[in-house]
Formats: sequence, C-alpha cells, structure tokens
Amino acid sequence: MRSSLLLSITTFAYLVCALFYLAGVVFRKSSLLKMGSMIGLGTLILQTAGLLLRWWESYQLGYGHAPLSNLYESLVFAAWAIMIVYLVLEYRSKQRTLGVFPALFAFLAMAYAAFSPSVEEKIQPLIPALKSNWLIAHVITCFVGYAAFAVSCGISFIYLLKQGRKKQANPHEKGLLAFFPDLRLLDELNYQMVIFGFLWLSVGIITGSVWANSAWGTYWSWDPKETWSLITWFIYAAMLHARSVHDWRGKRVAWLSLIGFACVLFTYFGVNFLLSGLHSYGSM
Amino acid sequence: MQNKTNLWQFLYDQLASLKLTVIIFLLTAASSLIGTLLPQGLSFEQLGTQYGPGLASWIDFFQLDDLYHSSWFRFLLLFLCLNLIVCTLRRLPKTIRLLKHQEQNLGPEKLTKFSYHSCLESKLPWPEFLERTERVIAGEFAPLRPVPAAEAYAAVAEKGSWTRLTVYLVHLSVLVILVGALLGSLFGFKGFVNINVGQTVAEARQVRDDRVIALPFQVRCDQFDVSFYDTGAPMEFRSDLTLLENGQEVLKGSLLVNDPMTYKGVTLYQSSYGSRLTQAVAEFTERDSGRIIQVTLPFRVPVALPGTPYQVEVFEYRENFHSFGPALAMGIFGEGQQPTGSWILAKVPDFHGNRVQDFQVKVVGLEQTPYTGLQVNRDPGIWVVYIGFSLLLLAAGVTFYTSHRKVWIWAAARAPRNVLYVAARTNKNSLAFEQEFHHLRDRLTEELQAQKRK
Repeated sequence: MRSSLLLSITTFAYLVCALFYLAGVVFRKSSLLKMGSMIGLGTLILQTAGLLLRWWESYQLGYGHAPLSNLYESLVFAAWAIMIVYLVLEYRSKQRTLGVFPALFAFLAMAYAAFSPSVEEKIQPLIPALKSNWLIAHVITCFVGYAAFAVSCGISFIYLLKQGRKKQANPHEKGLLAFFPDLRLLDELNYQMVIFGFLWLSVGIITGSVWANSAWGTYWSWDPKETWSLITWFIYAAMLHARSVHDWRGKRVAWLSLIGFACVLFTYFGVNFLLSGLHSYGSM
Repeated sequence: MQNKTNLWQFLYDQLASLKLTVIIFLLTAASSLIGTLLPQGLSFEQLGTQYGPGLASWIDFFQLDDLYHSSWFRFLLLFLCLNLIVCTLRRLPKTIRLLKHQEQNLGPEKLTKFSYHSCLESKLPWPEFLERTERVIAGEFAPLRPVPAAEAYAAVAEKGSWTRLTVYLVHLSVLVILVGALLGSLFGFKGFVNINVGQTVAEARQVRDDRVIALPFQVRCDQFDVSFYDTGAPMEFRSDLTLLENGQEVLKGSLLVNDPMTYKGVTLYQSSYGSRLTQAVAEFTERDSGRIIQVTLPFRVPVALPGTPYQVEVFEYRENFHSFGPALAMGIFGEGQQPTGSWILAKVPDFHGNRVQDFQVKVVGLEQTPYTGLQVNRDPGIWVVYIGFSLLLLAAGVTFYTSHRKVWIWAAARAPRNVLYVAARTNKNSLAFEQEFHHLRDRLTEELQAQKRK
C-alpha cells in the first residue's frame, strides 16, 4: 500500500521539522527556522497526497469513504490540521519561532497512530452509523478547532516560559527566549488562535448535533464525548469572556488555554478509552 | 415596600454577578463530569450490585444515575440561563449608552491619553489643512463627524459601531436553542417501537416513561435486511416500510440509518433490530417417573402441561443470555400455587439448571421472527434549535472578526503651524488596528506637508 509509505515518511519528516524549528530557536538562526518551515510545508504536501491516496485506496477496496473514520485516520488528520493551521498563522504573522510545538504535536499524533498497538491502521469499512456526508463536515470542523487549540497551547507554553524568565530580573533579555516574539504579540496570536478554534469547535459541535438528529433522532444525548466537548467549549467561552469583560491578558489567558487544551485531549483520548458511548468507534 | 424592592434588587444583583456565573459554571461542569464517569441509566438493582446498597441509595437519591434528566441538573441549567439573561440585560444599556455617547471636551489633554495617539503640525493654510485632514481620514478610514469644541475643530470618525451589539445576538442564540429544546420536550415525543416483519403497528412507547403514544398513521414493516462486509462488520440495516392511513397506503420507502423518514411531523429512524420468539417447543421430563411430555409454547401464553395439574408459560426470551446463547424464562404454576420459574438455556441441553420444579426441560425448537426497532419522534422545536445554531455561528463569527474602531481628531489654528491631534481606539484585535493607525498617521503626515501640491 502506498499511502502507508507516504504517511510513514510524513511521521519522520515532522520530527525533522520540529528539530529544525528547535535548532533555529536554540542557535538563534533564522536560516534553520526557514528550513523548518520549508520541511513543514513539504511534509504537509506529502501528507495531503498520502491522505488523498488513502481515500482512493478505500475505493479500490470497495469501501469508498473519506479517511476520517477511525482513530488512526483521525490522528493523521489531526497532524495535518495542526500543521496547516500553524503554517497559515506563520505566513500571516511572519513569526517562524512558534513552530516547535505544532511540529512536535503533529509528530506525536503521527507516531502514536503508527506505533501504538491499540490503533488499527487498516482501512476499515464504514459501519451504518457513520455512513453520512455529515461525517466529513463534523470531523473536519472539530479537528480544525482542535488544531487551533493545539497551536494556542504551544504559544501559551512559550508565553509562560518567557514571562517566567522575565520576572527573574533580567532586564536586557538575552538567551533563547529573547528570540521569541514579545509577550504582547504572543498574547494576541494566542487570542487569534483561540477565537478561530472556538468558532470551528462550535461548528463541529453543531454539525455533530445535526448529524445525530438525522441518524438517531436526538440532537443532544449527553453522551460522554458530547458532554466533554461542551465542557471544552465552556472553558474557552469563559476565557473569551474573561478577556473581553474583565480585560484578562497574558498569563491567566495562557493558563486557561492550557486547561482548555487538556480538556480537548481528554475529549479526544480520555473519552475514547475510559468511557463508552456513541463515539466508541473512535477508539477502534 | 422598601424592603421588598431591596430584596428584589439584591436577588437581581446576585443573578448578575460574575461570581454566580463561575459557581454555576463549575457546578455544571462538575456534574457533567460525574455524569460521564458514572454509568447512566442503570436500574437500582444494577447499581446495588456495582456500588453496594449504601452508595446505591445515595446515587438514587441524588438521581446521579440519570443525572442529565434530574430536576436539580435542569435547575442548574435554568439558573445558567437566568444568569445569562440578567448579565445581558445589565450590560446592554451600557453598550447602547456607549454607542449614543456624545463627545465632549475633546482636547489635546484627553487625546494624548489614548494608547494610539499622535500630534502633527502643518504650515498649510487653515482651510486647506482642514480639508486635507478630512479627505485623508474619510478616504483611509471613515467620514468625520464634527463635534462641538471651543476655539478649535474637533471631529470623530468610526467604523463598525454596530459590531458591539452582535455579542448579544450570540447570547440570544443560546437562549433560542434552549427554547427550541424546551418546545421539543413539551410538545414533542421520543418513542420507540419494535415491529415484526409483516406486522402493522399504530403506536409506540415513550422512551422516558414507557407511556403509549398513538401515531397519526400505521406503520407496516414489509422487510428487514442486514448486510455485512466480508470483514463481518455490518454494512447496512434496512427496513422496507409502508405507512398507512385508514388502511390506505400513503408512503412507501426504505429506512436506513442516517436516512430517516418523515410523515405528518413524525420521523422514523432505524434504531435497532433483532429477532423475537413466536413460539418454542419443549420437552418436560418428570423426574420421578421419567415420563416425557412435549408441548408447544406460544410466547407469553400459558399452556396446560398434559397429564399434570400444571400450566407452563414462556414469559421472557433473550437472544444471548450471558453469552450462553438463547435462553427462555419459563414458569410453571398450578391452581393456588406460587409459580416457580427459571432460565432455560436452549442451546445447552445438559445444563444442570435447565429445570423447573420437578421437570427437566429441554428446548427442541425455537420459532423466531425478525423485527426492526424504530425510534419514533416528533420534535416541533427542531427548527427553532437549528435557527439558534445558525444564529450562534453567524453572530459569533461577526463578533470575533469585526471590531468597533474609532478615530478622534482635534485641530487648532496656530502660528506658525496649525496643529492636529489624532487619537484612536478599538475594542478588539488591537495589533491589527495599531498597523491601521500608523498607516493613517503616515498618510496624514505626508498629505499635510506644505510643499506637497495636489
């Protein structure tokens, strides 16, 4: 199978990409960061080809569905979404130093998909409940949202590191952290990622709801995954309110973003493995 | 009277407090957490075996086993709504006042307090100086609106002031969704019905309370099919249904998962399937005499056991009983006697428990008929919910990606140079606006240079 080869290459290429970003920050070399971006973009194109090929292969097997139907495929798509959201942010903000975390997250998602024995890699046929066009809309929107939250989580890490260091009486910032954008820009970019993610998570929850209504006749059934996605939605909503009504900035917002992302991870993995419900096929 | 208004005011203030929002929010999150960790919808017996009788009665008391439908959880949600409404009502007048606000006492002192501000000077004659300033700001930003100022010219330009209101639409949309959900639960129903192939039904049972719901039509199941992939995974569940009104066929179609069927406001969904026992043939061996009696037992119909004073009934059937295959719950009862019964494993004839009273029971035949399980809903609130969904996305998008930007100027004729103070503010996305402001300032500087001619 050729898509699996492309996706294996993708896994390692994201690791290389993350290493270049890291080296660029550590040695404060823009050329290394630029290499990181180029590798990231190249890998993204490769991965897109891999995803499209896997889609085509599923038709060859007679199943014919978008590669978004089980845990393996969702992890691969998560990596793809994180990188595309990050690269667009990088292009628009002209900040290359933020790439370490997104590339690392993308690598981890791919590596987990490839190496965990509990993740089934084979193309499987769609069970009746998943046979719907809503599948594509629901999975894509949710994962674009998750990806933005992942990028925001990375920015928050950098923010907290940088802010923590600044306190230790270091007026003429030097060292590794000085190479990152200033705190105000980090905060602004973090906010941009959160509103983007929040909007897509909302679309994701709503498409899921409309889909559930057409499949089961219930748009909300308090299934653990639904409930956890709502808790996640509430946390980011709380953060947006704290920011606009109470003018929270910086550190507190960064912490809320980390808590929000922990909820995203629990919604994604925790619910699959610890709890049962409508989305139990997500753990297959 | 005074006390009463104070009490109301106090409650209103409490409802509007952010502290309350945070408390309700945390409580809702914590209870949702319990709801996902504790299995929902178990019977009291199941709870007892899983958690012990003591804990089980606490769980039952707080309705933690059906948390999302418990009255206290609904109360929490209602409280959250009230809080949302009151907070919105409190803030809305402030926003409107802000939008209607008339600028007064503009001057250099005030304008230099803004985070974006700039002071420009120009040797251009006063009329041309003003005309160029107005032209640049109208071209780059928005037309200026003069405001009263003593011995000077002051004006304001703004963009997107209406976008301060869209956040209220987001809040409204949440309420619209909840109203839709309420309409659905008040005026709709969620039912369930199993139909044997060939059978016609006209009623379903409410999922919540098992109440019988009469449908506005009859449903006949003509055929039910399950197909499988070669991997063994199910490919399709399909029920061929005919809907009838007064015996007349009104709609015929195939019902698939993800492809429901709606008629007269009632929607049918493919939900489950199985096979149902119609009758069983069993051999009863009398322990003392060794006599074998064979009887045919229609499901849930008592049948006399020939040559004995007893009657037998199959009152329950499981397709797979604790993974031992099909099993029948059988009871034997005589005149004036307590019935005794037991589960009989149909495919394990040697099982020592296959006995009731003095009889060893062996199931020799099972006659089953396939059935399809349909969810039957009516939800008059669904369109309200969908309108709420659309409004939420639209209003949230506009709220996030638009902002209210405002520019203030104050200009005065001075010798040898006229002065112009420019200041600006935005409520969102300040970095992008900073760029916009710098651009505006640079364009003004450029235009106000005296030597530059049109």
